[in-house]
Amino acid sequence: MSVTTDTIPRSGGGGGWFWFWSIDAFRRSLGLLFLIALAVFILGPLLSLILWAFAGEWFYPAVLPQVFSLKWWTVVLGNRSVVDSIRYSLMTAPTVTVLSAIICLPAAYAFARFEFPGRKVLLLSFLSANSFPKIGLYISIATLFYRMNLMTTFWGVVLIQLVSTLLFMIWIPTGTFRGINRSLEEAARDVGASGLRTFFKITLPIAMPGLLVAGLFAFLAAFDEAQGTLLVGSPNFITMPVMMYTLVLNYPQPVGAVFSILLTLPSLVLLLLAQRFLRQGYLAAGYTL
Amino acid sequence: MKSSSWEGRAGLLLVLPPLIVLVLLILVPAGQAIVSTLRVEKDGHVVYSLARYTEILHTISLRRSVGFTVRVTIASAVATFGLAYPLALYLRFTKGWVSTLLGALFIVPLFIPTVIASFAMTTFLVNHGYVGTLLHYVGIEDMPSLVYNATGIVLTEVWASIPFATLVLLAGLQGIDDALIESARDVGAGPMRTFLAVVLPLNMVATVITVSLLFIGILGSFTIPYLVGGNAPQMLSVVMTNYFGSYLRPDISVGLAVITFAIASLAGVAYVVGVSRRERHAI
Repeated sequence: MSVTTDTIPRSGGGGGWFWFWSIDAFRRSLGLLFLIALAVFILGPLLSLILWAFAGEWFYPAVLPQVFSLKWWTVVLGNRSVVDSIRYSLMTAPTVTVLSAIICLPAAYAFARFEFPGRKVLLLSFLSANSFPKIGLYISIATLFYRMNLMTTFWGVVLIQLVSTLLFMIWIPTGTFRGINRSLEEAARDVGASGLRTFFKITLPIAMPGLLVAGLFAFLAAFDEAQGTLLVGSPNFITMPVMMYTLVLNYPQPVGAVFSILLTLPSLVLLLLAQRFLRQGYLAAGYTL
Repeated sequence: MKSSSWEGRAGLLLVLPPLIVLVLLILVPAGQAIVSTLRVEKDGHVVYSLARYTEILHTISLRRSVGFTVRVTIASAVATFGLAYPLALYLRFTKGWVSTLLGALFIVPLFIPTVIASFAMTTFLVNHGYVGTLLHYVGIEDMPSLVYNATGIVLTEVWASIPFATLVLLAGLQGIDDALIESARDVGAGPMRTFLAVVLPLNMVATVITVSLLFIGILGSFTIPYLVGGNAPQMLSVVMTNYFGSYLRPDISVGLAVITFAIASLAGVAYVVGVSRRERHAI
């Protein structure tokens, strides 16, 4: 192929200007520069946060804290409202995830496998969850909740957190069910398995990774949801991310840093557990929604 | 075989529960918000007028907030896109350890809740924070403030949006057949021309989805402007939360919410069209 390239005169003027792109060393060093800059930008804030969580004393302009200490951890974990917020978060997020799964998974199966009028439009209509600026939508929901006496209640918080889980729980499982080869199910039916048995023995196990990823996304969306929960839940239901607002604005810096680490732990643990399912395809599926 | 009418009814029945949730939690509140802002009481009876919007746009602080919000949102979306596109191109077309490390690095913010990202960013950028300390050792003392202003919001929005934008663009780029790119090179196109003539058009749907979702997401974000933004001017998300809770003027708050719907409407349509085109085979 390269022989023919040489005989054809270079036409595209635009290409000629970027001849240096073909030099390997140039590309590599450019990539390396990019890598370093991005690493500083992305990891820098996190590093500074971690240092603050273990800082006893840290005065400008020291690069590291003068005194390392765990005293802020006892302050945070000894705080009554912090402990309450952990409890509330552990109550709401799993409830939202389970509720979302019960409501959405049968629908996802129907979207993938059944032919019914309006199927495409209905599936697309769930995208509207993402087409509104979130805070505007939450304000609108909150005014409605006022009239329905759902403000500052547990179920009000659950419902507002449900909004951001819908899309994950519909679209990822729909894609998963759709991707399952039907011939496997037909084979099971052929040897006499009932419809239900086929579903639980064949379809569900194959779909499991996709469903788990959807559940993970839904859980994290509910667990990390702060703006809607602040609006609907406070002052009765202060979940961990909402608590974070108070800690950041009213407490010394290390308190916020310690709590940040506590708040990140569930996400990290879940992601490590789900790592083998989290191939980039699934990640992209979740985040393009 | 099942009869198709059975399938149709079962399908609709199964789809009904999430549909009800969608209608009650998204469509009804949004519709109600729009209608309620148009209803104004005048001489004892209710009339439909734009009076509330004239009031909002005649309040100088609110008008400034609208302008500020649009500018910050566009700046953040453009900056994120400008960073994510080259990153996605690099990840798609370059192999090696740099590429692998970049691939692991850009995904990190995805796992950090926005509240924490905002807080981490303030400790990093604040005067006498980490950046300030490092600059001090290089001999730079007087720096314009990087946080509690528009710069801080843009930097944090970029930080938080990079993974999502890069993932969507990368997924689009991975859908482009290598053979197409090689054939462009074979007829003598350089890297730039290959990009403009082959890669860019073929990745258009992913680009539209990325840009529209970035715009809507940043416009509707509250946490970042609340924790990283300054006192004045503020982003609309912060202003409408204040009007809702602290100032007890939910009507102004809902009016501002509808204004953000209007600003985002084009992007919203572009997003839905983009996804429906990309997922054509899947829908």
